Amino acid sequence: MLIGRDIMDQQVVDARGRLMGKVDGVVLELHEGEAAHLAGIVIGGTTLLWRLHRGLARWAERKLGGEGRITYVPWSKVGKVGVDIKVDVEAPRTPAFRWEHWVRDHFIGRIPGA
Amino acid sequence: MSKFLEIALGIVTGIGGFLEAGSLATAAQAGSEFGYQLIWAIAVGTACIAVLVEMAGRLAAVSRHTLPDAMRERFGIGFFLIPLAAVALVSFLVLSSEIGGVTLALEFATGVSHRWWAIPAALAIWLLLWKGTFGMVEKGTSMLGLVTLAFVVAALKLHPDAAGVAAGLVPRAPTHDGARYWFIAVSIVGASVSPYLFYFYSAGAVEDQWDEGYLTINRITAGVGMTFGGTVAVAALVCAALVLHPAGIQVDRYEQIPFLLTSPLARAGFWLFVAALFIACFGAALEIALQLAYLVAQGFGWRWGENLRPRDAARFSAIYTVALPLAALVIASGIDPLRLTVMSMAMTALSLPVTVVPLLVLMNDPQYLDEHTNGWVSNAAVLAVSVIACVVALVALPLQVFGS
Repeated sequence: MLIGRDIMDQQVVDARGRLMGKVDGVVLELHEGEAAHLAGIVIGGTTLLWRLHRGLARWAERKLGGEGRITYVPWSKVGKVGVDIKVDVEAPRTPAFRWEHWVRDHFIGRIPGA
Repeated sequence: MSKFLEIALGIVTGIGGFLEAGSLATAAQAGSEFGYQLIWAIAVGTACIAVLVEMAGRLAAVSRHTLPDAMRERFGIGFFLIPLAAVALVSFLVLSSEIGGVTLALEFATGVSHRWWAIPAALAIWLLLWKGTFGMVEKGTSMLGLVTLAFVVAALKLHPDAAGVAAGLVPRAPTHDGARYWFIAVSIVGASVSPYLFYFYSAGAVEDQWDEGYLTINRITAGVGMTFGGTVAVAALVCAALVLHPAGIQVDRYEQIPFLLTSPLARAGFWLFVAALFIACFGAALEIALQLAYLVAQGFGWRWGENLRPRDAARFSAIYTVALPLAALVIASGIDPLRLTVMSMAMTALSLPVTVVPLLVLMNDPQYLDEHTNGWVSNAAVLAVSVIACVVALVALPLQVFGS
């Protein structure tokens, strides 16, 4: 498996088939004298920003509070890697739906018939 | 659903969904100013969009990926933002143009200025997306869109000279107004090869859960549906060539366009034209607004789907909910809908390499297509049309804006 080809930017789907976001980054663990080890995947806007523009990412982390707002899924929770990456977590219990729920509660949910 | 019915529905979608503000306006201008001379541009644009739609359907059926999904994965976020921005910008302009078309139809019908209709029209489009399902949007608009066949009836009643029409299929150098000729030619290609068409199609194929069993259906509906659709656009051009061209009427003001059908079909022609314009633009606006939401949601991995309740796909629904009133404001501000439409089509042509080349790269990647990758003919043809259209637009657009 290649991280760049098979993991990065892939669709992440939670235990109930809900679309959680894309793999915006990965976490590697490095130990002296051992090969690097894939610890988990990260979903979240600021992680994505780091790949686009460092200054913007630093600014966003200061404004939004940084690492607490991103979703980290340890590799042990990652199931099948195919068209999507299936992970064994409940998306609503992670920060992945923070913006989704914010938009629902403050905008879309307030329109009649939503 | 039986395969036969699926193919029939796909072809109806091609016919009923082909004509919209852009193809109608550019066909009317081409016919009124250059007679049959620009029919070839419709043929080139139609062939190109048929090939692209087939590709988007094949990608969805084999890889189960929509186009934005696959592009983000294959190229990474950094590159993906370029086609994302280009498609979003062009789609927004075309959305404004379609709302403009709807409001013009309402102006022709009521006499009330189109500017006043922009917000009510956008509200009606939004309400259908808010309450409707994907099947309703896709099938409903294409069934009603069959009213655009009135152009074919009108063209036949005008008894066009078959040899003249056939001669128009061969590209030739213009006899007069070269800059104008190439500008309209490239606008016609832009109107036919709107990226929203194949992006929408790929989302639809995934939404309908296509698999490899659909490859033949996909090929037939893309090929036959788009060819019939292109025929409707040619019919509109023929009407313009036979009604407006001899009378010396150039379509530079939108009030002149209804004459297209009043001459061959009398009073009924006027109302048929109003209905065709309204339905074609309304249907296109529905699809473009939906496609904008698909594009962003799929690119960022948000929950999406026109069959979900809005609150269950909040960010997805928020995109069309914001885009529609913004696009309507452009029309309400008083910009000429006809000029906006023609400019949007030229902009579409300009953006073709950015929107089309990433699709071509994906279509040649066995990682996504297995053994169903592109042949070299479709690769070369689509690449050539996109690059040439872009270059011509690059030259013709400034000439048009600043006057020749």
